[in-house]
Amino acid sequence: MKNDAKQSVTASSILSKRPTRRKFLKTALAAGAFGAVPLRGWAADAVNIGALYPTTGGMAQIGVGCVAAAKMAVEMINEAGGIKSLGGAKLNLIVSDVQSDTTVTRTETDRLITSNKLSAIHGCFASALTLIASEVCERAKVPIITGSSSDQLNKGRTYTFTPFARASQFAKAQLQMSKLVSDQPKVAVIFENTAFGTSTSNGLKELAPGEGVEIVMFEPYSAGFTDASPLINKVKASGANALFSVSYLNDLILIVRTVKQVGLNVAINGGSGGFVIPDFYKNVGKLAEGLQGVAHWNHDMDDNAQKVNAEYKKRTGDFLFEYAGGLVAQTYMLADALERAASADPQKVREALSALDVSSGYAAMAPGGKVKFGPDGKNVYGRPVGVQWQNADLASIFPKEDARAPLLKT
Amino acid sequence: MLETVVQAVINGLLIGGIYALVSIGVTLIFGVVKIVNFAQGEFVMIGMYITFFLFSTFGIDPLLSLFISMPVLFVAGALVQHYLIRRVLGPNDMPQIFLTFALSLLLLNLSLLLFTANYRTVHTFYSDEALHLGGLYIPVAKLIAFGVAMALSGALWVFLHTTDLGKAMRAASQKPDVAVLMGINPNRVFAVAFGAALALAGAAGSLLMPFYSAYPFVGQVFVLMAFVAVVLGTLGNVVGALVASLMMGVAESLGIQFIGADSGQIVVFAMLLLTLAFKPSGLGGGRVR
Repeated sequence: MKNDAKQSVTASSILSKRPTRRKFLKTALAAGAFGAVPLRGWAADAVNIGALYPTTGGMAQIGVGCVAAAKMAVEMINEAGGIKSLGGAKLNLIVSDVQSDTTVTRTETDRLITSNKLSAIHGCFASALTLIASEVCERAKVPIITGSSSDQLNKGRTYTFTPFARASQFAKAQLQMSKLVSDQPKVAVIFENTAFGTSTSNGLKELAPGEGVEIVMFEPYSAGFTDASPLINKVKASGANALFSVSYLNDLILIVRTVKQVGLNVAINGGSGGFVIPDFYKNVGKLAEGLQGVAHWNHDMDDNAQKVNAEYKKRTGDFLFEYAGGLVAQTYMLADALERAASADPQKVREALSALDVSSGYAAMAPGGKVKFGPDGKNVYGRPVGVQWQNADLASIFPKEDARAPLLKT
Repeated sequence: MLETVVQAVINGLLIGGIYALVSIGVTLIFGVVKIVNFAQGEFVMIGMYITFFLFSTFGIDPLLSLFISMPVLFVAGALVQHYLIRRVLGPNDMPQIFLTFALSLLLLNLSLLLFTANYRTVHTFYSDEALHLGGLYIPVAKLIAFGVAMALSGALWVFLHTTDLGKAMRAASQKPDVAVLMGINPNRVFAVAFGAALALAGAAGSLLMPFYSAYPFVGQVFVLMAFVAVVLGTLGNVVGALVASLMMGVAESLGIQFIGADSGQIVVFAMLLLTLAFKPSGLGGGRVR
């Protein structure tokens, strides 16, 4: 219902040919009704940052957390004095709900760009949505910065920036982690038969021989099943000692619980996405202890990360999860670019972003601690971090230089 | 090899028991009230949320919450029948289809608003336990769910065949006009049938909760299978729906095991098409049995 109300207001604000002040008020009302705009953000010199996240629909769990983190980051920057080269201009976050839907993502990105003067955009966490938002941004020549991992985002784009590890790197890290549990890993790969599942698992399959990992089972399944038992029955028959599951949350919960019921002794690596959010532990409970995954960000990386984690925890009650934490860093990267550009013009912001080179502060909160974009918009230092559920929290355990806790043997 | 087959059959039967609770509800409503209830899955979802909140707030075990979720949904069903369905019954099917479909969407979006899209899981002491027999395993929560599902199906059968109200229900479904002439009040019979069907959905919700997560879309996962089972087992036939549900569970499980993990639904729908091609009225007879 919230959405309907919002859409009708925004639709009328696009269609109306009334004086601009009224239009401005309507947009403000629309955004305000959505809880997005801090009032003081509407000062004359505010810098508008667009935020595209699914806050309703199937991906809402992660999307809502992203918005909370994005707001927190903007407040932190504004409280520290805003963008100094722009006379202390405040950042103004304009949030838009892309409703976990590709069509809505296209229209919302378009609407956000045409009805606001934006300096940059960040979004959308789910690669399928980000790919579309990125296309729209490229055409409109507005820079977009994203933690989405699809390698596709680095092909033929000039306004898209990806400061964190890519999907292909995730696959490699996952394979290397399987050697933590066994010298001769025999891996069963099960994946949902969607674009996400297929591309991720194909990456695993291609890289496995090079990493000396044997894949003994490679099996797509229909996402949203009622029962994981037949699938786990198959894993058992394959003789695997490690299980990679490329799944969304609900399937993964069933898989983990079924593995326990069967009494199967396999090391589970749940990858990223729904596996590395607090909700996973809430649903799986103690069974999650010792399960491994990969992330592009983790809250125990450095002092700054722990600081923002503490603040986020105070606000929401949960630890700062991968995507939301990366988003805080991204907001600081945008602030760094704005500071150097000394302009809110999206073209100048893009140029400043492409020249970004940080190795300290909140903007450098990434595994490896350095961010610098190559010509393809990829962080040349980007790498994933291997994580493990330990005591209801995610601990970084791989690679050695990023490990913050010893591996918990299960 | 044999062990794998037996395990696959066990898995299939256990989940088939849950399909049966949903599909028996759908087929009962179709047999008696002569409408297709597209919202049946959403009532399973409501049963799950009732169970979840009883557990998380009062610590009531999901199995005990059967005694709350079933009566609550029975009353809900009778009310839905009395205040909504009754008004659209008539020669034209369209308003009925739109009504139950709208009800489904309403409940789904309402629960998104109230409960958000988050998954809710219940952990009881038996949730993740299993009996191990030789190389086989039988998950305790699913075994209990299967047992209760079969007991409830049996109770419904006894009710339909031995009580006056049950007989009136069957009469109303077989020859509605004659039943009215014999003094059967169709509105009362319809309300009881709808209530009983939703009580079964509520039971399915409570029984699922120890091993499945609740979320607003969860009903859609189960209702698709239920509709297939209803058609496969002949529309309106309670025993047919039960047998078809178990068959589908087993077919799905064997398909996943021996063809491919994304073939479960292919096997089930191929089974449906073949049955309809060779036995168009389904596997059972055409009456409420």
